Amino acid sequence: MRDIIVFSGSSNPDLAERVCRNLGLPPGKVELRKFANGETSVQYGDSVRDKDVFIIQTGAGHVNDLFMELLIMISACKMASAKRITVICPLFFYSRQVDSKGSKRGAPNGAQHKGTQIADSVPSSPKLVSRFSHDPTPKEILNQKARGSSAAPALQTLRTNDAAIATTGYRSWIAQSGTLVANLITSAGANHIITMDLHDAQFQGFFDIPVDNLLSKPLFQHYITNYVPDYKNCVIVSPDAGGAKRAAAIADVLSMPFALIHKERRQMADQTPSQDLMAHSNPSSSSVNSVSFATPGLSMQRSPSTASMSQSAVEQYVATTMLVGEVQDKVCVLIDDLVDTSSTITRAASLLKDQGAKYVYALITHGIFSGDATSKLKNSAIDKIITTNSVDQTTHYTQIGADTMVILDVSRIFSEAIRRINNGESVSMLYDHGW
Amino acid sequence: MSLQKPPNSIKILTGNSHVKFAQQIAEYLNMTIADIHVIEFSNRESAVLVKESIRDEDVYIIQTGCGGPEKLNDYLMELLFLVHACKSASARRITAVVPNFPYARQDRKDKSRVAISAKLVANLLVTAGCHHVITMDLHASQIQGFFNIPVDNLYAEPEVLKYINLKLSTTDLVIVSPDAGGAKRVASLADKLDTPFALIHKERAKANEVSRMVLVGDVTGKVCVLVDDMADTCGTLCKASDLLLEKGAKSVVAMVTHGIFSGQAIPRINQGSLEKIVCTNSMPLTAMAEVCPKLEIIDICPTLAEAIRRLHNGESVSYLFTNAV
Repeated sequence: MRDIIVFSGSSNPDLAERVCRNLGLPPGKVELRKFANGETSVQYGDSVRDKDVFIIQTGAGHVNDLFMELLIMISACKMASAKRITVICPLFFYSRQVDSKGSKRGAPNGAQHKGTQIADSVPSSPKLVSRFSHDPTPKEILNQKARGSSAAPALQTLRTNDAAIATTGYRSWIAQSGTLVANLITSAGANHIITMDLHDAQFQGFFDIPVDNLLSKPLFQHYITNYVPDYKNCVIVSPDAGGAKRAAAIADVLSMPFALIHKERRQMADQTPSQDLMAHSNPSSSSVNSVSFATPGLSMQRSPSTASMSQSAVEQYVATTMLVGEVQDKVCVLIDDLVDTSSTITRAASLLKDQGAKYVYALITHGIFSGDATSKLKNSAIDKIITTNSVDQTTHYTQIGADTMVILDVSRIFSEAIRRINNGESVSMLYDHGW
Repeated sequence: MSLQKPPNSIKILTGNSHVKFAQQIAEYLNMTIADIHVIEFSNRESAVLVKESIRDEDVYIIQTGCGGPEKLNDYLMELLFLVHACKSASARRITAVVPNFPYARQDRKDKSRVAISAKLVANLLVTAGCHHVITMDLHASQIQGFFNIPVDNLYAEPEVLKYINLKLSTTDLVIVSPDAGGAKRVASLADKLDTPFALIHKERAKANEVSRMVLVGDVTGKVCVLVDDMADTCGTLCKASDLLLEKGAKSVVAMVTHGIFSGQAIPRINQGSLEKIVCTNSMPLTAMAEVCPKLEIIDICPTLAEAIRRLHNGESVSYLFTNAV
């Protein structure tokens, strides 16, 4: 190896150690500490002058702290004349951005609500939903047109709409921090990023430096083919539409059947049409199972009557999960890139069990498991949780228990990427190779 | 709906570091704080919730570097997120008001292979989209040069002068700098008060630890005022106070701009020989004042509020360098 040195941040020293062992390198000496006032300080014990430096830091735990530590580590390397600084974030910082639904679901706001946590943070993807809650739906417009024989009522509706906009004023939103995080890392002095299973592949485009997005897919394929009995008759399930592509890719390679859980969030006012749609979109009515839940804090059943009762509250949504595909008497393999509060995956698992699934595996690349996720997972319908050590899993492992949890080692993928980048070889082989 | 917005509108935002301070500043300006918050999720990521429009506004974000090992980096990231949120919400100008600038002490490469974190923070603020920074008593005023945007480094000195003139008799006063780095600050203060000044030279073995101290100057029979830009673990201040009393000082009062008071600072002050420690409210200190009767707080909000007002109206800020508000 030429002029290479690997340093570890404080987030996942175990992974860094494994990576170094695979590469046959001693871990780089770095002193990470904090001053009494809380400022992070970094001092390298090994020379980095003209070296190819790799810094391993994963984005789970005390995220902001770890992120600042990473930035200071990068900056210190740059100031110490490193030749190239490559940042390895197995789980990328702020890769999953919370969209504006958070506010719709009663997100805590500011200092007075400090400490409150959002129970169900939703994996987000850019959505083309209207920013304005009072935009008339096509149906409403149609209704208005139908009533439009006399001009007066139509005008009245318009006026009420205006009034509603005036009173609610600004529709609150949550700022997206993806570009910022990317820019901060670049401005600190990083030359290259290696990450794994980015939640949004678009995130790569936020950077002005090369980003290698490694995949856990080969690892998962290897697990399924070797450890899932009679895997050809199992079903790969994606717990949400966002991960469908990722899950379907594995199903394709292993020629396994595929199912999808679709989650719908509709305003209560749209209740009746949504039910119509649901009935419509499912090929057989037997496979329609709707687990419904309302906004936290509102115990609400999915029924048109309650919907009409609660029309006054604009910020009320009903979420419905439904399964597309057949899982009766099958072994299901749920595949997701990231599990945080674990509500999506546990709900998906119980839906699968309700639909007659025999056994449920959950393959998760990044297990953040924040809040009460571990206890939720332990008591869930998931029979086996398989995750990777991209995030330090030692506490989760003891909390969930060895009989339900399996941890796969991703260090070899990263070591091989490091070796190849250091040698100037192609990395693309890592996307398919079975580990 | 009118298309003509007031051309000169201003918004004040705050992170979670020192909300009361921001509220006081807003009060002095006869404003309310904009409904834009930073929230934290269970995975400890932060996000900015924007509840009102800041399009084309002159935005001031108040966030101080405080919180100790648990929160300091969180608050810094909050500030960056707020700045970026304002940028993406098309604010006209974004000014970060950071009374206590975080990482200000890591401003040089005193050892090999360490980061100049103050420079990093400056870069981060600019990268996030900051157009202007207001800060107070930077540990080293050279930090201003780390930014390629304008930085207004305000001084607490006028307020300190006001306090000394009001509360302490100037006849038998001597102003003391607890380290050589603060000599200039102390000399200027002593000039204005027309009092003598003394200096303590210390040899530092490690950060946050003090080894040996030497007093330069005469303090016999005098009331000593120790002046510094920040009080962190208070090891320096307490040792300096002991030394001054040993050299014949009548009593010792400490005046600092930023009361960080980390680690064992409060018990140290309580048990130490300092008669009083006076600091500005640039850090959240109400809880500390309850357990530390020696702690006295002076309100610095008017200075910052006036700076914001002047900056917003395009007036000169230099008046504030020499005059208390």
